[in-house]
Formats: sequence, C-alpha cells, structure tokens
Amino acid sequence: MNPAAAVRARIDGWFLSRRAPSDQLELTQRNVYIVPTRAGWALGLTLAVLLVASINYQLNLGYLLTFLLAGCVAVGMHVCHGTLRGLALNLVSPGAHFAGAAAVFRVVLHNGRGSVRYGIGLAVRGSGQWSWSDVPAGGTATVEVAFKPPQRGLHAVPPLTAETRFPLGTFRVWCVWRPAAKMLVYPAPEQHPPPLPPGEPRGGAAAQASSAQSAGEYDGVRPYRRGDAMKLVVWKKAARAQAAGSDDLVSRDAAQAQRHELWLDDRSTGLADVEARLSRLCAWVLMADRLALDYGLRVGTRFLAPSQGEAHKRACLEALALC
Amino acid sequence: MQLTTQLTSLPREARDTLFLLGVIALIVLPQIGNLPFWCTSLVAVVLLWRGTLAVQARPLPNRWWRGALLLVALVGTYVTHRTLLGRDAGVTLVVVLLALKTLELRARRDAFVIFFLGFFAMLTNFFYSQSLPTAFAMLLALLGLLTALVNAHMPVGRPPLVQAARTAGGMALLGAPIMVLLFVLFPRMAPLWGTPNDAMTGRSGLSATMRVGAIAQLALDDGIAARVKFDDDVVPDRQVLYFRGPVLSQFDGREWTAPPPFSRASAFTPANLRVSGTPVRYAVTLEPSNRPWLLTLDAAPVKPDLPGYELFGTPELQWLASRPIGDLVRYRAESYTQYQSGPLRRTGAVQLNLDLPRGSNPRTVALAAQLRSDPANATTPALVQAVLQRLRTGGYTYTLDPGVYGDDTADVFWFERKEGFCEHIASAFVVLMRAAGVPARIVTGYQGGERNDVDGYWTLRNSDAHAWAEVWQEGVGWVRVDPTGSVAPGRVGTFNRLAPTPGVFAGAFGAMSPTLVQNMRAAWEALNNGWNQWVLNYTQSKQLDLLKNLGFDSPSLADLGLVLLWLLVATSLAGAAWTLWERSRTDPWLRLLAQARKRLQKAGIALPPTAPPRQMAEQVRARFGDAGKPLQDWLLQLEAQRYARESAASAKGLASLRSAMRRIPWPQG
Repeated sequence: MNPAAAVRARIDGWFLSRRAPSDQLELTQRNVYIVPTRAGWALGLTLAVLLVASINYQLNLGYLLTFLLAGCVAVGMHVCHGTLRGLALNLVSPGAHFAGAAAVFRVVLHNGRGSVRYGIGLAVRGSGQWSWSDVPAGGTATVEVAFKPPQRGLHAVPPLTAETRFPLGTFRVWCVWRPAAKMLVYPAPEQHPPPLPPGEPRGGAAAQASSAQSAGEYDGVRPYRRGDAMKLVVWKKAARAQAAGSDDLVSRDAAQAQRHELWLDDRSTGLADVEARLSRLCAWVLMADRLALDYGLRVGTRFLAPSQGEAHKRACLEALALC
Repeated sequence: MQLTTQLTSLPREARDTLFLLGVIALIVLPQIGNLPFWCTSLVAVVLLWRGTLAVQARPLPNRWWRGALLLVALVGTYVTHRTLLGRDAGVTLVVVLLALKTLELRARRDAFVIFFLGFFAMLTNFFYSQSLPTAFAMLLALLGLLTALVNAHMPVGRPPLVQAARTAGGMALLGAPIMVLLFVLFPRMAPLWGTPNDAMTGRSGLSATMRVGAIAQLALDDGIAARVKFDDDVVPDRQVLYFRGPVLSQFDGREWTAPPPFSRASAFTPANLRVSGTPVRYAVTLEPSNRPWLLTLDAAPVKPDLPGYELFGTPELQWLASRPIGDLVRYRAESYTQYQSGPLRRTGAVQLNLDLPRGSNPRTVALAAQLRSDPANATTPALVQAVLQRLRTGGYTYTLDPGVYGDDTADVFWFERKEGFCEHIASAFVVLMRAAGVPARIVTGYQGGERNDVDGYWTLRNSDAHAWAEVWQEGVGWVRVDPTGSVAPGRVGTFNRLAPTPGVFAGAFGAMSPTLVQNMRAAWEALNNGWNQWVLNYTQSKQLDLLKNLGFDSPSLADLGLVLLWLLVATSLAGAAWTLWERSRTDPWLRLLAQARKRLQKAGIALPPTAPPRQMAEQVRARFGDAGKPLQDWLLQLEAQRYARESAASAKGLASLRSAMRRIPWPQG
C-alpha cells in the first residue's frame, strides 16, 4: 500500500468512526454531502466558454442563455441535495448468509415530503453495485442492496452509501451510513465435498468392542429402507401387512444400526487448513440436513449433540461461523 | 392516432433518443439559412438515420462509419469556409458534430457531450439573429435539452417525459431570477480580445463603398436599421430628415469610396459647421452594423452621448466610433436642420472633390462643357438648377430594376438608359457637376422613415437607405442637393415608398385589409423594439444608470461586482435562516425529548433515540435514586403532556415544561 492510500484509508476510517452506528438514518443538512461531478465541471467549463463567447461577440441573448443555464444548474444543485435531504433510511435486520455467496440487504426508504424523490442509488460503500429506486411521495420504497459477505463470523453490516445525481447529473450528493446491525456469516460450503463420514458407534470408542459382539441381535423393527438385506425383512409382518392392503415392509432393526450415529468432526475431514475444514463441515451439515439424518457436530472444543431440523442446522452453522 | 399509440408504446430508450433528436432538430432549424447546404442535408440525414435505428432497435454504426462521416464534415467545412477556425466554420462544425455525436450514444459521457454541444449550437444561433422568435425558439430548445438531461437521470422504469419536463420547467422558473440578477449585474465589458472580423458578415446596411450599376435589381430590405425617439415626439419636416452616413468623394469610374478618416493629413480641415435655429433632440437605437459610424440627423455639432465608445467627428460631418459597433447601441444626439458647413473658400481639400478618372464618361464631360458655356448657368446654383431641370423633364425615370450598367455609368444614365435608383442618379449628377468644375460629393445615409404608432418610435429601415449629393458653393460651403427628388418626387419626402410587388402571402392579407397588416406590423415592431430596448440594448451605461438609481454617486464596474457579492451574501444568509426555520418545524415535543436525552447522555446514561420518557425516568431512578427525583417527575410530566387522556395538556404545558427543564437539578454523571 503506498503512503497516499494509507493516509486516505486512515482519513476514511476516522471519517467513519465519527458516525454513530444506527439502523436508521435520517438524512439532514449535516450528513448529506455534495460535490460537482466530472460532468458538472465540464458543464462549468461550457458555461465559461459560453460567457466568453457572449462577451466577445457582445451577445446579450448569449448572456441570457448562459445565465439561465447557470441559474438552472444552481437550482439543480439545490434540488439534487433536496433529493436526499429529509429521506429516512431503515435497515431491515439482515439474515445470515454464506460467505462468498451473493446476498442482499433490504433497506426501506421513507419519503416524508409531498413529491417524488427520483433516482436514489444505494450500495455497499466502495462496492460500486448500485441499486436504483424512486421513492414515491409520502411513501416508502424497499431497496435490495447486493453484497458479497466476506469471511465467516459475526460482522458489522458494512457501511452503506446512498447517492443521487438527479436532476442534471452535475452534482453528486451522497451520505455514508454505518448500520448498527450485526450479520452472521457462515463459512462458504465446499463446492464438491466428499461423502459423509461413516457413523460412529454410540458412546464412543469404549462401546466399539461390545458392538461387534452383539451383532445379530435384533431389538426391534423399523420401516424398510432400500438396501436392507433380504434376511432382515420381517416376512411374517409383511404378509400381514399385505393382507391388510399395504405394501409397507418392515425390517428388523439391529442394535448395531441404532448404536451408530453420524458425527461431523473437524478431525475426520482430513484437511489441515482450518477454513477448509469448516467449509467441508458446512457442506456436510447441509448434506446431512438434506438427507434428514441425525447428525452431531464436533468442532474444536464445541459439541452439538446429534439431532436434526432447521434449528439444529442453524445452531451447527452458527457454531461453524463463530468458532 | 395509430402513430401516437406507436410512439407511446416505444421502449424507453427509443423514446428518449427520439425526443433528444427532436430537440437537436429544433436547435439547428433556425440556422438553416446560415449553414451551407451540405451541412443541413448531412444533419437531416444523420438525425433521420439515428431515429430509424432507435425505432427499429438496431445497433449503431461502427466507428468506421463515424470516422468517415467526421472526415466528410471536416473536408466539407474546409472547402466551404477555407478554414476550420473562425466563426462560420466553427458554427458549421459544432452543428455537424452535434448531429454526428448522436450516432455514438453509449456511455453517460457521450450523452453529456451532446448536451454541451447543444448549448454551444444554441449560442451560435445568436450570431445571426437575436430577435424575439429566435429567443423563443432557443428557450424551447433549452427546456427540451434540460428535460432530456433530467430524464437521463431518472434511471428507474419508464417515467413519463412530462415528469422530466415539469422538473426542468420548475428549475428554469426558479433559475430565472438568478438569470435576471446576473444579467442585470454582471459587468458588461468590451470584447476580451479583438472582435472577430467576421462577426457581422451578412448583415445589410450602409457600406463604405458604392459600386454604381453593379446591382441589377435592388431588393428592398425591410429590416430595421435604426429607431429614433424624438424628444417630445417632435419630428422635423420630412424634407430635412436626412440621416448622414458615409460621405463618398473618391471615384474610380465604377466605384465611389469614402476616404479613410484622417488618412490625408493635408486634406484635414475642420468641419466648419455653422448652425442656426433650434436643435432637434433625439435618441437613436442603432442596430448592430459592425461599422464604426453613427447615424445622426444632419447636422449634429455636438458629440453624441454614447458610453463605451470613443467618438470623433469627421470634416464630412459624420460621427465615427473608435471601433466597429457590433452590438445594438443607443445614443442621444442633437441636430440643427438649418446649417452650413465646409470651407467658404476653395481650398485644396475642396479641390479634391473635382477628381474624375481621366477619359471616363466622355459624353457627360461634353454635356458639362455645354452647360457651362451657357451664360445662364454661370453661378453654381443656376447650374444645379439647370441639371435638376434636365432630370425633371428629360424623360428620366426612377426604377428599382435598372439592369446592369456598363462602364461610363454616368454616360449610360444621362444618355442611354435614363433610369435608375438613387445611386445611379446621385452618381451621374456628381460626375456631371465635377466635369463642370463644381466640387461635388456623394452622401449616403437614410432618408425619411416612418413612425410606429404603437410606441412612437421613428423607424428607419434598410429600404430607407439613400444616396444624395452635396455641391460646394463659394462663400456658402457644402449644399445638399438631392437629384433623386427631381426624378421621382415621391422618393423624397412623402410616405409613398416605391415598394416591390409583395409576396403572395402578404398580398392576400394586404388585399383583405391594408390597415390590419399595417397595425399588426406596427404592434410586432413595437414589441421587437421593447425587446431591443430592454434586453438587447442592456449595456454598461444602463448598468451604471441602475447603480445611480440605487444610490451610488459615481458607479463603476467594481460597484457592480460589489452589489452582486452583497446579493450573494444576502441570499446565503436567507438560505441559512430558512434551514433554521425548517429545523424548527420538527415536533417541539420531540425536540424537548431529544434535549433531555442529550443531557442524560452527558450525565452518563446512554439511551437509544427511541427511548420514551418513562424508560428514561426508570434509568434515572436506577442510576441516581432519589437525587434524580425532580428529573423523574419532569420526565413523567413530559410523558403525560403527550399521552395523557384528558386534553388538558396544551402548548402552554409544553412551554412550562421547557422552562422547568432549565430549573430542575440535573444530576452529574
């Protein structure tokens, strides 16, 4: 980073730190800024040339044209500033997202005045991905601001900026907004993860030996699953069920199957890099959730007991995000 | 009907492009007469092509096409104007570039270039005309361009153009006071560098030379040369309404020219003007001519009052400005219609007015000798009378269509054609006089004119341009002789102007009601004159007059700047006051709550802006206990003021709460 950029970054940081974070922002004279755009400077140059031509050719009508244009630009400056001034921004608290995936924030714009505000763009500061909207008179508009979450973790929502160049494009009016809300970013799931790890016997390694001995003891029945051996099917019950008009088959449930459970463990990923491990675990969590399996998560010092369902998935992903 | 539905169903981009093309056409349209033919055609073709592409949503031409067209434009401009610089070439280039740029409407920057070129093209219109219709057309064009610009900054959906037009109109309306202020107060100054020579080409009027017989047909130009406002509306007799322009005394056989002022030091003589009677006082509004001379009624002994120009008088009784008059000017002058001028004795300067090219007009010279030999014509007045008598009775006629004369124009006039207009007659007369040994010269200027009944201004048109003669008489000086009056008495001193056949349109109107046409014309010209007086003739002197009225004793341009600065400061202060007022419009209760919150924050209790008074009170109790009791009570009162059921709470309550806030002891953090 060269010194100029460093200084700029310092100033930028100082500038941002002066803003109290808040999820709603009322735009006033004090937090709306205005500078001429490049087109504005060019128009200024045009005005100067028009003025010189009017002087040199002594054209009073040329003066009129130049000054009317200048007047319009001056009024345009006011209109431009007024487009943002008085607008209220509200951040809809953002949900959790996966790192690296396209996501949106929702921002609700409230227009309290009796005329439409045109051409208001919102973007994550510095991203350059503007989403434009008009806010109707006395109404609201919801804008979705595209952004790409950075690495996992609990982050502050990045500073947003609202901008407008309406009506003449000669001025850029903008504001900087530091929302207070935090957003949770899950690790990016691995693109092509390996299959889920094999189940582990319940109770851990100590139970391993006994489980081998007790093979073949049946503790109960469960619905047939594809791949069950023929000899596991309880044919007596099948005959009874068919007599009752049902095709349901029932398999004998081995104690062995019950005693094994799926543990997603960061050590079983076989990867050295922490983030790569988390990515794989994230992909496995999603996979297991899709297969509606019971799964537990073991990452670092955290344990989440095997379970399933949306709440469990979230808990797992959150653990992955924050560990 | 089908067309309108088609137009309204166009996609936004096509619609916007068509609108912009229309505005560009409006900008170029008034210029058609001043642009080379190829330029107009090229612009029309390009605009139509671009419109078609927009409607059919086809891609724009590639850059080879654009490059080729640009080359065509450059070559065409160079061939037409022999340069790429200068005013006319510049105008042609700006207009062509404006049209060509529409073929490259991709980035936002391209659009802006079009707008800027459009503003330039609008200004170039004023080189040729600053009339009311031009101003109106350009106002429309400006609104159109602004509408397109505003529309370009409405990025969402397909907003109706009317919406953008309303915004643009509103801005122009609010910008108009700024325009007026700047127009009135922006110091008018002389051109920053030399007035370009071509500033006035193509404007008709008097010229410093007169080429006799070169014009086959004189088109009467009804354009206005000057307007004269006589004080107290006392117009002198038409017979003396001679407005002097250049005096032509050098003749090369074909062309009369004025000697350059003060070029012949030996020939310089004082005007020796002797006036009598009462002066006529008047103000002249002179249309721009890019000539240095002022029009004054014969004869003006006192320097006319024209600020911004240095004036000096010539021995020929003309008043000249130090530089060509490139803008509409207004000056006051006073003239004496009874006057004598010139040396009383034959001096060298007078003798110069006898020069004739050797060997030219032999028959006229012979005629002169014959007239001179008649003893009845011994004196100059008698000789002049004899010649005028010849003009009256010799079968000479006044015509605007004399055809082209050959060499020896005086011979042709006196003996062959026997017809012509004032140039021919005056020239032939002066040649004859010089041949007879009488110093004589041609004076050009304006004769007659007519009164506009609507505003009382005396109007001089280009068609009132006239040429007459002056002969020198021993002991008297220069005496005006108007030989045209002898040929066509109607040409001088009456209202009946020899008018060319009117066009079909004017003819039809004239046949219906001649007075209606006259009245309409008078009203229109009065309107135009108002425009001239108030807008086009707003000059430095008027600015300084304005300052005088504002109370400046000896105003200068710096004072103008000062007034402008003061107005700027005053406007800024007004803006600041307005902002304060606007802020005060927020709910007073909320403002009070915000103040309380701020003070609590100082005391160490940070609360979100959404915290209600009750929550604040609880925080105060939790933090300060009984020490904060008055503050708690106050906060609860504040809550009651807003939310209590009975409407006993009123604005007065709020005021008392506000004063209570100052009294209660605020705990320190």
